[in-house]
Amino acid sequence: MEIVVQRLVSPTAYQKHASRRPSIKSFYINNPTASFPCSLSLPSLSHSKVLLATPDAGVSAETSVWAMQDFYSLRKEVEATSRRVEEIRASAGLEQLGEEVAKLEKAAASDSFWDDRSSAQKTLMALTDVKDKINLLNDFQTQVDDAETIVNLTEEMESTDTALLEEAATIVKELNKALDKFELSQLLSGPYDKEGAVINITAGAGGTDAQDWADMLLRMYVRWGERQRYKTRVVEKSMGEEAGIKSATIEVEGRYAFGYLCGEKGTHRIVRQSPFNAKGLRQTSFCGIEVMPLLPEDSLNVEIPEEDLQIGFSRAGGSGGQNVNKVETAVRITHIPTGVTVRCTEERSQLANKIKALSRLKAKLMVIAIEQRATEIKQIRGDAVKADWGQQIRNYVFHPYKLVKDVRTGYETTDIVSVMDGELDPFIKAYLRFKYTQSM
Amino acid sequence: MNLSTLTRASSLSTTITSTTLRRSITISSSSLSYTPTSTNPKTPLFLRPPIFTATLTDLQKFQNWAKTLTSSIGSSFKDSDNGPDSTILHRELNWFIEDAVENPNSLLTQSETEIGRVVKLRAELGDLYTLWKQRIEKRRPFQYVVGCEHWRDLVLSVEEGVLIPRPETELIVDLVCDVMKMNEEMKSGLWVDLGTGSGAIGIAIARVLGEFGRVIATDLSPVAVHVAQFNVKRYNLQDKVSVMQGSWFDPLSGFEGRVAGLVSNPPYIPSGHINGLQAEVGRHEPILALDGGEDGMSDLLHLCNGAEFMLKSGGFFAFETNGEDQCRFLVDHMKSVHNNSFCDLKIIPDLAGIQRFVTGIRS
Repeated sequence: MEIVVQRLVSPTAYQKHASRRPSIKSFYINNPTASFPCSLSLPSLSHSKVLLATPDAGVSAETSVWAMQDFYSLRKEVEATSRRVEEIRASAGLEQLGEEVAKLEKAAASDSFWDDRSSAQKTLMALTDVKDKINLLNDFQTQVDDAETIVNLTEEMESTDTALLEEAATIVKELNKALDKFELSQLLSGPYDKEGAVINITAGAGGTDAQDWADMLLRMYVRWGERQRYKTRVVEKSMGEEAGIKSATIEVEGRYAFGYLCGEKGTHRIVRQSPFNAKGLRQTSFCGIEVMPLLPEDSLNVEIPEEDLQIGFSRAGGSGGQNVNKVETAVRITHIPTGVTVRCTEERSQLANKIKALSRLKAKLMVIAIEQRATEIKQIRGDAVKADWGQQIRNYVFHPYKLVKDVRTGYETTDIVSVMDGELDPFIKAYLRFKYTQSM
Repeated sequence: MNLSTLTRASSLSTTITSTTLRRSITISSSSLSYTPTSTNPKTPLFLRPPIFTATLTDLQKFQNWAKTLTSSIGSSFKDSDNGPDSTILHRELNWFIEDAVENPNSLLTQSETEIGRVVKLRAELGDLYTLWKQRIEKRRPFQYVVGCEHWRDLVLSVEEGVLIPRPETELIVDLVCDVMKMNEEMKSGLWVDLGTGSGAIGIAIARVLGEFGRVIATDLSPVAVHVAQFNVKRYNLQDKVSVMQGSWFDPLSGFEGRVAGLVSNPPYIPSGHINGLQAEVGRHEPILALDGGEDGMSDLLHLCNGAEFMLKSGGFFAFETNGEDQCRFLVDHMKSVHNNSFCDLKIIPDLAGIQRFVTGIRS
């Protein structure tokens, strides 16, 4: 899991940045009278914008005025960031991480280590992960130390060096971004969070209105996936009679797709003036979203006893076989003990549908097992398995006012257009934080 | 509502096709005709080189036209002869476009700015109109339209004159795999697929055989033999599978008592039922591969008799049938007429729950 942290956080960006720095700094050292170029605004200090807005603000008196204001707010920010780094390092358990490294290194040094290749691989990967995490946490400390040094230095010096302050501001800004990502990745620590995701969209009762709503949600999630640069595919889509869709399945490939999307599971409600109703009456429709991890075939090493499975194949009546030629090869698998059912229709052969349905069933059962805190599928209490998409999680009101509000977190926005265009991140993050605090 | 869309769709289709198709129809009549004239198998659409182009806008025009035409069907085919309804036809349309476009994902992820983008096609845009019209108006089977059928993990070339392998038949291979799991020796034996058609069962078995295992696949139809050979080559199984032309056991002289496994999906539809078949089947698929005589049993009984002298002791057979009645009849026949020749006779249902297969072991 930590690998991605390393990828997301930008040690390289920082290095790039750092290597660029000295030249700018030396420029200022060699040209003490040079006016501060306005293009290099301090993005994290928004209040300085006013002063930076005048391009001719090269007068030295003015420079020192706003630089002093900048300095105080910068000092404040550095202090806040320093506290934040401290907190994160404490909550990440640096000491335990160190112990873990020692433990894993000891295991890797043993003679019998390579006897079991796959477990050896796992150990080594875990070791790299933990080491990366420690490096990252130390990197946070180094960066905030750098910023603090600059602040202290400036305090001791008579005059302010804008280039140095600029550097400190950039460090703090980049560091806060990295800390955000780190925190988010800590929220995504579920066993399948780093996997891809399968989203099932099912129109609720209510005919064309609900089917159109399902189609809107389909577009929303596809857009979201594209924004995240995930590989997003609509693998199955069953058209509604007049407009919209009855159901659809999206596969989202990419790291953490499931972690981000799992909170989307539930019933999504829309309130609007019906476009399918001549009177334009206000209409409420529902749509169910179900999210499962997209697990690679070989990772599904759970065996489900064959007698627990009921495999059926929907085929429209008749004698079948040579009598019929229909491309419909949908396979439906029910896990008898829990009653959990999956159906796969998108593949072009029956075997392919069966394999896919089985892997979806396993993924679904594994997620339910986690929800129930069961260690294996056998322990899932069938009576406790709720309907595929149970409670209402979010309201989308188009009329009489515009509002999207998450029922669980209370997060809301009036910018419904952006939400329908895939701008879901604030909702997703709010839910992840909510889930995290709930579990504490 | 259905009626109005139908007229709309059909008038739309005639205007579009009459303007855009005149040229392409005359040029590419050979690739579009669907009478089995040559013995050279046609290349499935998805394997053809993407040498044609169309703008995304034009392709979407086609897509919308085809969608409208498809929606206009509603459940009329289903009501008349248990044919596909528009939901299934829409799915076929998606696959059709998937096969015809070089990079089908580009259609899903298009954004508004790319509307003038050029898409590479494996057939001329005009041909796509013609082909989809054939699908809907002539009820030409989807698999013949795209020239292939996805079956198990295989994509098999099919064309007029060759039975399109059915999903039910996929299970025969599972039954064979079960037998091989219980008896490893079967993996290096000689397997025979009688009436192989596109070669489906034979190829799938060849892929699970061991190093020394071989398959002989026979078919009476020269078109089927050519198509099966094409498919065998495509899966690089020329060394494992020999396709032979001839009626049932005729090409197998010399192998009596040496066959480890015998499988077949012979024609089993009673002659009287042929006229009532779904249009895709009755009007387009080879009657030779469907009509099993008055009670549909004539070829199955012939196979039973042949199995007795072709199979070696311990050899396995699996036959597909029309359903429960035929299965029972076959088992009774084997018990009474070929008493003590076969053991472990079983009737196995397909995934839809219809008693579909008879299997057994040569004593």
